[in-house]
Amino acid sequence: MVIAPLSRKVLRDLWRLRAQVLAIALVLAAGVATAILGSGAQDSLTQTRDRYYAQNRFADVFADLTRAPLALLPEAEALDGVLSAEARIVKTARPELPGAAPATLMMVSLPGTGGLNLLHLRQGRLPDPQSDREVVLSEEFAAAHRLSPGAPLSLVMNGRRMEVTVTGTAISPEFIYALGPGEMMPDPARFGIAWMPRAPLAAAWDLDGAFSNLVLRLAPGASAERVIEALDPLLARYGGTGAIARRDQTSHAFLDAELTQLGAMARVLPPIFLAVAAMLVHITMSRLVALEREQIGLLKAIGYSRRAIAWHYLEFVLLIAVLGIALGFAAGAWLGAGMARLYAEFFSFPYLVFSRSPAIYGLAALVALAAATGGALQAALKVSALPPAVAMAPPAPPAYRRSLGALSDRLALPQSLRMVTRHLLHWPLRTAAAILGLAMAVAILVASLWTFGSLEQLIAVTFHLGERQDVRVAFAAAEPPAALQEIRRLPGVMAAEPWRSIAARLENGPHAKRVAVEGRPAGPQLSRVLSPDLEPMAMPERGLILSEALADALDLRRGDLVTVAFLEGRRNEATLPVSGISVGYVGLGASMELDALNRAAGDGDRISGAALLVDPAAMDEFLAAARAAPGTGTIAVKNLVLARFRATLAENITVMVSVYVGLAAIIAAGVVYNFARIALSEQGRELASLRVLGFTNAEVSAMLFAELGLVTLAAQPLGWLIGHGMAAAMAASFASDLYRVPFLVGRDVYATASLAVCAAAILSALAIAGRIRRLDIVGVLKTRE
Amino acid sequence: MGESGGSIIRTAGLGKTYRSGALEVQALRGVDFAAAPGEFVVILGPSGSGKSTFLNLLGGLDTASAGKAWFREQELTGLSERGLTLYRRNHVGFVFQFYNLVPSLTAVENVALVTEIARAPMRPDEALDLVGLSARRDHFPAQLSGGEQQRVAIARAIAKRPSLLFCDEPTGALDSATGVRVLEALTEVNRATGATTLVITHNAAIREIAGRTLRFADGQIVEETLNPRRKAPSEVSW
Ligand SMILES: Nc1ncnc2c1ncn2[C@@H]1O[C@H](COP(=O)(O)OP(=O)(O)O)[C@@H](O)[C@H]1O
Ligand SMILES: [Mg+2]
Repeated sequence: MVIAPLSRKVLRDLWRLRAQVLAIALVLAAGVATAILGSGAQDSLTQTRDRYYAQNRFADVFADLTRAPLALLPEAEALDGVLSAEARIVKTARPELPGAAPATLMMVSLPGTGGLNLLHLRQGRLPDPQSDREVVLSEEFAAAHRLSPGAPLSLVMNGRRMEVTVTGTAISPEFIYALGPGEMMPDPARFGIAWMPRAPLAAAWDLDGAFSNLVLRLAPGASAERVIEALDPLLARYGGTGAIARRDQTSHAFLDAELTQLGAMARVLPPIFLAVAAMLVHITMSRLVALEREQIGLLKAIGYSRRAIAWHYLEFVLLIAVLGIALGFAAGAWLGAGMARLYAEFFSFPYLVFSRSPAIYGLAALVALAAATGGALQAALKVSALPPAVAMAPPAPPAYRRSLGALSDRLALPQSLRMVTRHLLHWPLRTAAAILGLAMAVAILVASLWTFGSLEQLIAVTFHLGERQDVRVAFAAAEPPAALQEIRRLPGVMAAEPWRSIAARLENGPHAKRVAVEGRPAGPQLSRVLSPDLEPMAMPERGLILSEALADALDLRRGDLVTVAFLEGRRNEATLPVSGISVGYVGLGASMELDALNRAAGDGDRISGAALLVDPAAMDEFLAAARAAPGTGTIAVKNLVLARFRATLAENITVMVSVYVGLAAIIAAGVVYNFARIALSEQGRELASLRVLGFTNAEVSAMLFAELGLVTLAAQPLGWLIGHGMAAAMAASFASDLYRVPFLVGRDVYATASLAVCAAAILSALAIAGRIRRLDIVGVLKTRE
Repeated sequence: MGESGGSIIRTAGLGKTYRSGALEVQALRGVDFAAAPGEFVVILGPSGSGKSTFLNLLGGLDTASAGKAWFREQELTGLSERGLTLYRRNHVGFVFQFYNLVPSLTAVENVALVTEIARAPMRPDEALDLVGLSARRDHFPAQLSGGEQQRVAIARAIAKRPSLLFCDEPTGALDSATGVRVLEALTEVNRATGATTLVITHNAAIREIAGRTLRFADGQIVEETLNPRRKAPSEVSW
């Protein structure tokens, strides 16, 4: 087969410029991959969750109450919009396990046939409905304690010990995130679920013919709010603390927050990446084609049409673009699937529905193609519009101006430096494009790196400035203040501070949120609330302190009034002023002075637990004693909570951010290398002339490097600025009720981004140093520019 | 070590073979040549006869594949890349057909580019004065005519007070009247600085202003003419 000479030129050019071609293709690939991996992972996970929810009949409304007769069930089922209802027993028990860390099991009655929140069995079998000595455990809890089917387990249920056998392990859409009471992060070693037939649970808690928890499945399109409005009065008599919609269900809310975050990552960064990659490829392509000026003139002179010439360069860039897109598709699909699998495992979904949205692939490919061909076509058409004689002649002699002439004379700048500065100033657009390109490389690094520091800040504020206690003890039920004295007497306790927590519904006009209002001493020393400038806040005499997230959700400002409907005890309602706004990155927070809270709730002087400082040397002794104490409900050891928090975050945000950092680094390096190569092509002739005049290799290299260096330097502050803006956009899109990330871009982030780009610049400089050394100095003399 | 015998530059059996794959081009086949200090030598010959190759080897822009060349006592053919750079920097001035000025520097700055790295240069203005371009010192190359650009290139070449001045078709891109101005500048410079000057040209009339004319053909010197009476360029009819 005969290859047309122009096609042969395309192949030879691609081969000649292979390093650059690869760098451009990689930049495009990174942009394309980012675009498809994020949304691919998010789509897959959302669809998986939806199918899991549907197949396992995940409930829409959840209500806790003290004790209601089963006869109430038909009434609940009859409510408008309710499709089916299931009355359950849900109580906490204490497993007796070897090891010091205290654990809690939530005992849940097994769903009946056609019931809700069906289990997905992982190992073994479900308990025999007739047996009262068999349980099935949540998979992660069982794994954390190495409990396989057949293992014996000792449970303390309502104060009585019971020996049971584990028949299997399971997962449930209700506990994708199994969050213990008062915990911030799931910890499978310390909190799990045990499903058991109804009879033994009813016997243990004296709930024969009664239930303590109700779940509803709604008709499609029914409003959960409307149903809850009708349900709450029904349950109030039986100690109902207010039903919640799926939206507020702990596990769902956590999963949703995770997926929101993933979605934010998938929505904010990838378009930026793709846009940056596209912009860089556009600049690179147009400069690459502009270098071909003389050849374009020649092709025209010998009779090639403009269209043929444009097609020739189009072929060249199309091949590069197709290479980049193919690499991007492969990498994006692979990374996206890997990430989805990782998250699916983390959420312990029973299966993973892979979803590939062809629209995203198409869009990414289109943007990449447009960017590459646009840049090249523009340059090719511009050059081929010139009469051939003009094109073959050197580009219109640059009319350099001595704008800085007087200044450089006075500064006695060496001629070589004058060349550098005049070059940069003479092509302001090209210089600006180069600076912008490198700035974008810095910016995407800043935009992906800042999250790490932000998480550290979140941890420092939450765990070191705010919650300064070593241990937080929650009583099984609220106790009189004297209980604090007993806690103080436990071994190793160095300081103790009481706290109270009451579930309440906060309302402001149309906005309402269900939260736990926390009572603290007037000047808390251990469990502190922090103002936005991170100063500890004193508890106001009467009003509430709301976290920023809660204040935003309720549209409240300092000085506004808020209606507090308590959902426990006497179920008082009070209208209280908002006395202050606090920072809070995890959950929604509402705080009051302890006595003021007790007065408002009207249940008398009560405390829910204590925050403690414990002598580390006596920690084991303390935990043993605290667990044995009769009133103890849960014990949260801060170091364990913190370790778990880190582990969870490490598995989530870090994985994704690391992938983005890697892709950002590829883009940055690709850009810098191409800019260096093009600068060399543009100035090769001039540099070779200088070599003829007796300039050494080092002197000539220094000139080119000075220019690259100046551009790189100028790009840094601009990159920081753009990166800061991108990071701010991401922080805003991360915010959910459960988390907000502190928006904080530390100096180390800017420094790391700059160092990475400068390192890429230096490596690129080294890569082209060899080319400078090999410049054909005789060659330039034979041709005119 | 060669015997210099009063010559400033000398070659013995100098040869150059270009090799690209299976193709071999013998550009230069054993050239013996010597020039005395201050001499003005014109090199003629058809295109492809090896003139540029010869000048490039003498100027240290390329390396020979056979034979030897000396500058004074120094054997050029034994020098490293770095040694050749220093040789060019300190002793050689070049003028090319296409001027090769730096477009971002003014006339005087283009000259200064070289004086800054030379050992005992003249002032850039002095060099421009020698070629009669003092008035255009602050113009950029784009603002100068071809002849003026070539004279800047000559000023740049001689500003370092080189011992050798090599000119490869300096008038090749110029009309004849302008070419005369350039050649006048060259002879003037040759007289004023005493730099040994070798000029490649296609214009046979130039031999009348030279002390000696060499004719190249097929990579060898095939004819050498001594000119007893050198004419001034203005006396020559081109
Ligand atoms: N880099 C090169 N590679 C291969 N052949 C070359 C190269 N440079 C010159 N030649 C060949 O060497 C011969 C002499 O060239 P040159 O010295 O430029 O001739 P002149 O200057 O007399 O016109 C020619 O045949 C030319 O084709
Ligand atoms: Mg020649």
